[in-house]
Amino acid sequence: MSQDTSLRPSEKIAAPSDSGRVGVLTNVWRASGKTTGVLAGLILLVIYLSITQPIFMTWGNITNIVASNSVVLVLAVGATFVIISGGLDLSTASAAAVTGMSYGMLLQHGMSAWVAVAGALAVGLLLGIVNGVLISYVKISFLVVTLGTLSIFESAALVMSQGKTINVFSLEGFQPIYNLVNGKVAGIPYLLIFDVLLVVAAALVLRYTTFGRGVYALGSNREAARLNGINVARTTLSVFLIAGLAAAVASLIQVGRLTGASPGIDSTLLLTVVAAVLIGGTAYTGGDGGVGGTVLGVLFLGVIQNGLTLSDVSTFWRGTVNGVVLIVAVALGVARDRGWLRFNRGKTPASS
Amino acid sequence: MNASAAPLVEVRGVSKRYPGVLALDNASLAVSPGEIVALTGENGSGKSTLSKIIGGAEQPDGGVVLVDGAETVIANPATALKLGIVMISQELTLAPQLTVAENVFMGRLPRRGRVIDWATVRRRAREELAALDVHVDVNARVGDLSVELQQEVEIARAVSSKARLLILDEATSSLSEHATERLLELVREQAKRGVAVLMISHRMPELYSTAGRAAVLRDGKMVGTVPLPSTPESQLVRMMVGRELNDYYGSRDCVPGDVVLQVRDLASADGALAPTSFEVRSGEIVGIAGLVGSGKAQLGMALGGAIAATGDVRVNGSPVTLGDPRRALGAGIGLVPDDRKRAALLPTRSVAHNMTLTWLPKLSKFGVVPTRTEKRRVKEAIAEYGVKTSSPAKLITQLSGGNQQKAILGRIFALDCPVYVLSEPTRGVDVGSKSQIYALLQKLTESGAAVVIISSELPELIGLADRVLVCFQGAVHGEVSGEQLQEEVLNAIAVSGHVHSEEPS
Repeated sequence: MSQDTSLRPSEKIAAPSDSGRVGVLTNVWRASGKTTGVLAGLILLVIYLSITQPIFMTWGNITNIVASNSVVLVLAVGATFVIISGGLDLSTASAAAVTGMSYGMLLQHGMSAWVAVAGALAVGLLLGIVNGVLISYVKISFLVVTLGTLSIFESAALVMSQGKTINVFSLEGFQPIYNLVNGKVAGIPYLLIFDVLLVVAAALVLRYTTFGRGVYALGSNREAARLNGINVARTTLSVFLIAGLAAAVASLIQVGRLTGASPGIDSTLLLTVVAAVLIGGTAYTGGDGGVGGTVLGVLFLGVIQNGLTLSDVSTFWRGTVNGVVLIVAVALGVARDRGWLRFNRGKTPASS
Repeated sequence: MNASAAPLVEVRGVSKRYPGVLALDNASLAVSPGEIVALTGENGSGKSTLSKIIGGAEQPDGGVVLVDGAETVIANPATALKLGIVMISQELTLAPQLTVAENVFMGRLPRRGRVIDWATVRRRAREELAALDVHVDVNARVGDLSVELQQEVEIARAVSSKARLLILDEATSSLSEHATERLLELVREQAKRGVAVLMISHRMPELYSTAGRAAVLRDGKMVGTVPLPSTPESQLVRMMVGRELNDYYGSRDCVPGDVVLQVRDLASADGALAPTSFEVRSGEIVGIAGLVGSGKAQLGMALGGAIAATGDVRVNGSPVTLGDPRRALGAGIGLVPDDRKRAALLPTRSVAHNMTLTWLPKLSKFGVVPTRTEKRRVKEAIAEYGVKTSSPAKLITQLSGGNQQKAILGRIFALDCPVYVLSEPTRGVDVGSKSQIYALLQKLTESGAAVVIISSELPELIGLADRVLVCFQGAVHGEVSGEQLQEEVLNAIAVSGHVHSEEPS
């Protein structure tokens, strides 16, 4: 760079000769982004499954994967904001149960489609406010707050419905959501279009808005963010609002697919959501990552699930697979960041 | 020094390559028992890399390391410790949750049978600390101590672990003058007992008062070794930077104008700073001196809104809401905090995003960042503030300390604030970057800013400031300017609160 020369004319320690010493593979590995690993894994997985399972590459199966992972995707997009900001929302699956129940009950009370949807979204925002205010203004640790609300929301969903599932299929107001969640245009599910729009919108917000930059700054160094004029409390509240809204949207998709609002919570949902975000390269310590990686994380776990189902492997293995993938993915990221793993250990450089 | 004593540790022709940079290029160095060697050079010259290799934290790509004349692989810091090589760096390695006593004996807690003998731990920790004249409760949690006390605990741990080679990597950079002097005394004492010492410091007076010779690195190459203190400082600096450094602090061509910053009865809520009043004019640099704990750090933090405070602060006549950094920034007070790592850097973000963090409100429209403008502004700022980076997208933590600091300063300077409050603006920064930062400060002041510089480096304050306020025990105890602006005067007030013969003005 030009300003270098003014300081030290002699300075030029160029690196191009590097590759001969360290090895091309090692360089590619070290220069790779945080999402390269999961992308490569996903591609290998897809190639393997399309060879071994003829059904895998059919359009029907692909739309099935999209449909069955949309709930996780929506929650994971919300969780990505929270995790980048340096927090974690453990209550997200429970919040989805409450918003789903709210939606079901509003329909049951004869509300129109859009009132019920708006009601569910409002409840989601409210739950986000509860988490966000306690964390950002009352200043209680996010782990304590969301662990508490995890339990509270879960029980609230049961109390609301007396533990019963509300069958919404025959209710008039349910029709629009049912059509949207299960409908297609030109063979493309509406849900896929929605997922794409959601992810693009979230990625744009994170990358190109002052709010998004603030979220990263907060997760990277809270004190530095505060001293440089980021409104820490408001940004924290906002990410939990987004998570609450995501829970509401996810629950609408869930109810739309199952045609019933159930107070029970899939116990692996929270783990799957958080795992997808972390597998996608978002740092659990905050300040780094993005929704692009989260999409890959969701797809990776979803495709593995699909592969297991197609191969007639018991669903009991699901948790094991998710857990192993999570640990391996995060461990690989750590290994790259610390400069471990060389692909040509034998070729140590000759001393000059 | 001499070749009579066999070197304790010797490196021969070591090289170390990081992605994109050859950090060490065929460098050789030997340190003998009882000898104090200063390892000097600009940031990025390879000093830290060389000390890390000797300390076992890094492995050389080429060359050999000899300990007691035998070729040795120092695979990790634990191996180094077993060989008696102890490293004290600016990065503290204490466990903040544990007590002082536990930290001093971490990894080697005295036992009685299989049970840790806590009484002995505390007693011996107390003895070790007393021997070093460090007055701290051994049962205190390290995290509750000031940075300075933490550094002293770290040193106590190193000394008590029977070191044969002590590596001081910027160990004094967070210490006050007084504490530094004590540490150096201790180092000289250890050397007399036969401990070899390798010290890295940006503070020249320290090297001259302590080291017997200086090894100079430039761009990873060993340029030469010169005896100290007989080699003139100008010659040493010339070796380090490869060119003349004329007029180190620079100069500015302006007369102080109207009062821009008015401070009346500013006091920190925690009581560390008693009500303080002063004014700063446009085009003026006011220095704040004082020991650690004198309240000078709190003065800067309170002005920048970083801590809760009371009083009346006005910028160009309009009052500033205290205790909120966002309001202070909005009112035109740009703060650069003293602890870069804790309070300024975004370690997971790029150079560009670190710099634009503070510009975002001005840069963006309706909350959207115009990336093209942003990129251009970053490029301009990188050039203007002399940040050396291969790309704006590089992680900021991959830059040297000096370049990190220039990026952090650029982040604030680009805002065109009427008032700047800079706390330790050149801490942990190499000579080359320091003089660049001084030039930036002079330019900033010439353009009409009112600047407050808080620093533990008195030569820096004397070289830059129009006048210096000296803090003592939480209050300003004197203002020094003109002919009186000398280290002895500032020191006298900082230590005792007054100058012997005359009343501070």
